[in-house]
Amino acid sequence: MTATAPAPAPTEADRPVKRRFSWRAVIGSQFVGASLLAVLVLIVWEVVSGLTFVIPSPVRTLGVLVENLSDPAYLFDLRVTAQAVALAFVVGTAVGGGIGLLLGLSARLRLIFEPMIIMLNGIPKIVLYPVLLPIFSLSGSKVVMGVLFALFPVLINVSTGVQEIPKVYWKLARSVRVNPWQMLVHIIFPAIRRPLLTGIRLAVSLAVVGVVLSEFFATRRGLGRVVLQAYSHGDYPSMVATIMLLITISFGISIALWQWEKRIH
Amino acid sequence: MTRSSTPSTASRTSSSSHPSPSHPPFTAADDLPSESASAHHASPDPPRRGRGWGTAGFSVGATLALIVALTAFAEVGSRAGWWNDHVLPAPSVIFTELGVLLTERQFWIDAQRTGIEVAASIVFGCLLGFAAGLLFWKVPLLGRVFEPYLVSFYAVPLVLFYPVMIVLVGINAMSVIILATIMAAIPMALNTAVGLNQMPPVYLKLARSLRTSPRQTLFAIAIPAAGPFIVAGLRLAVVYALIGTIAMEFTTAQAGLGYRIRYLYEIFDNIGMFAYIVVVLVLSCLLTVALAAVGRVLLRGRNS
Repeated sequence: MTATAPAPAPTEADRPVKRRFSWRAVIGSQFVGASLLAVLVLIVWEVVSGLTFVIPSPVRTLGVLVENLSDPAYLFDLRVTAQAVALAFVVGTAVGGGIGLLLGLSARLRLIFEPMIIMLNGIPKIVLYPVLLPIFSLSGSKVVMGVLFALFPVLINVSTGVQEIPKVYWKLARSVRVNPWQMLVHIIFPAIRRPLLTGIRLAVSLAVVGVVLSEFFATRRGLGRVVLQAYSHGDYPSMVATIMLLITISFGISIALWQWEKRIH
Repeated sequence: MTRSSTPSTASRTSSSSHPSPSHPPFTAADDLPSESASAHHASPDPPRRGRGWGTAGFSVGATLALIVALTAFAEVGSRAGWWNDHVLPAPSVIFTELGVLLTERQFWIDAQRTGIEVAASIVFGCLLGFAAGLLFWKVPLLGRVFEPYLVSFYAVPLVLFYPVMIVLVGINAMSVIILATIMAAIPMALNTAVGLNQMPPVYLKLARSLRTSPRQTLFAIAIPAAGPFIVAGLRLAVVYALIGTIAMEFTTAQAGLGYRIRYLYEIFDNIGMFAYIVVVLVLSCLLTVALAAVGRVLLRGRNS
């Protein structure tokens, strides 16, 4: 399964390399090295799975995964989790971006709220899940938990990004008399696109983690529940397959975003 | 590795009132003279320092005021019956329960378990991460190969491996420590490597011309040069070790503060659960404050 993990990387990373048609660059490229590492991990996995009965071999895991993916109940769980993650990500990014923008623009707000936000960022947010449950019900609280997880990287990155916009940008904005909307779209967004993208990249995988951890705790449907159920039934191949699916998806998205991030300057 | 912007985010996150170590140069030509003038001039320095302490004091005051206001709001709201008692009990009730809790043996057993797990993963994670960062700096190829994995496991997805870990190692402190160590090591490794890579080449030229021993080069030149990044990595490592430990205990465990919260939730001991949640929140806030203080002491006299 880990072998499929870097799959999104070649499409992103290899393109500029291939354009130049230099074999030396291909061999020395990060993608090749990272793939070799993945193959190495797969081999170690295979060896370990031979030593202990609790870990299925990579091939067996893949087989179980394919089997699972043709099961409608599993697909339903997958869809529930995916919807919760998507919602959490979108809301978290929007809220985080909005608050980050306010904090970045106003030194006074920053003075008041910054230490609080740094503290909130440092707390293990999952302990708040039992608090959320009676307020947002079983299906809503995992989205809220995902939002709480995804919120902070975007917030902090946007706030710092806005603070680091060169002064001449603001001068330019004043001199051409932009309205607030143009200011946001034509000046602030382009200026902070890199930190914003970093925040978004972190937010995606954190939203996944927030939702799945909540599903570990209590939920009706979802992949987190599948994992924990498989664990308590001793159905380890299904458990490992589901975990690898989750890890692979979040790995793939974050690698794709990372490559994109590296390309914009 | 220098291109990776995550660690610079990390360092940005950490510096609240001081400029971040990766301060980008102003691109505008007309801004440069005024900037350098104020930086080199002696007179604006003392007032700036005074203002810095003033703003820091103001921030602390504002934060305390916010916390007090929130607590008061919760107290009033729950007394007035704005929400059901099992949504959020009155803070006074929670704090009374907390007082009882601090005298119980069970609490200290849980706290000790969590404390040992967090402390072990911080120590191992920082050492491992620092060693890995050094290695990535010395062997750039290795750094490039590992970079995609480190960057994408930078956030917490490793927690998802916990069920696999408990199958492999068993439900005990060891499985938590192993994963939390890796989680703490990753930001440390990335930050150390980036900090060392952004060191100006002239530093190493100086080392060569002074014929320093490898050890001197490392301790007297490389580590101080990468200092701000390493401290930022340290802070992230501590935060991730704590978050990871609590999250894993919360998922499944046999002891620990995170486990106790889940257990009390399942037996409907609402007030006890809130008391434990308050303990975890206070602990993590104290840790954040302590880290900020340590970072400030370690990097004292650097913002010139």
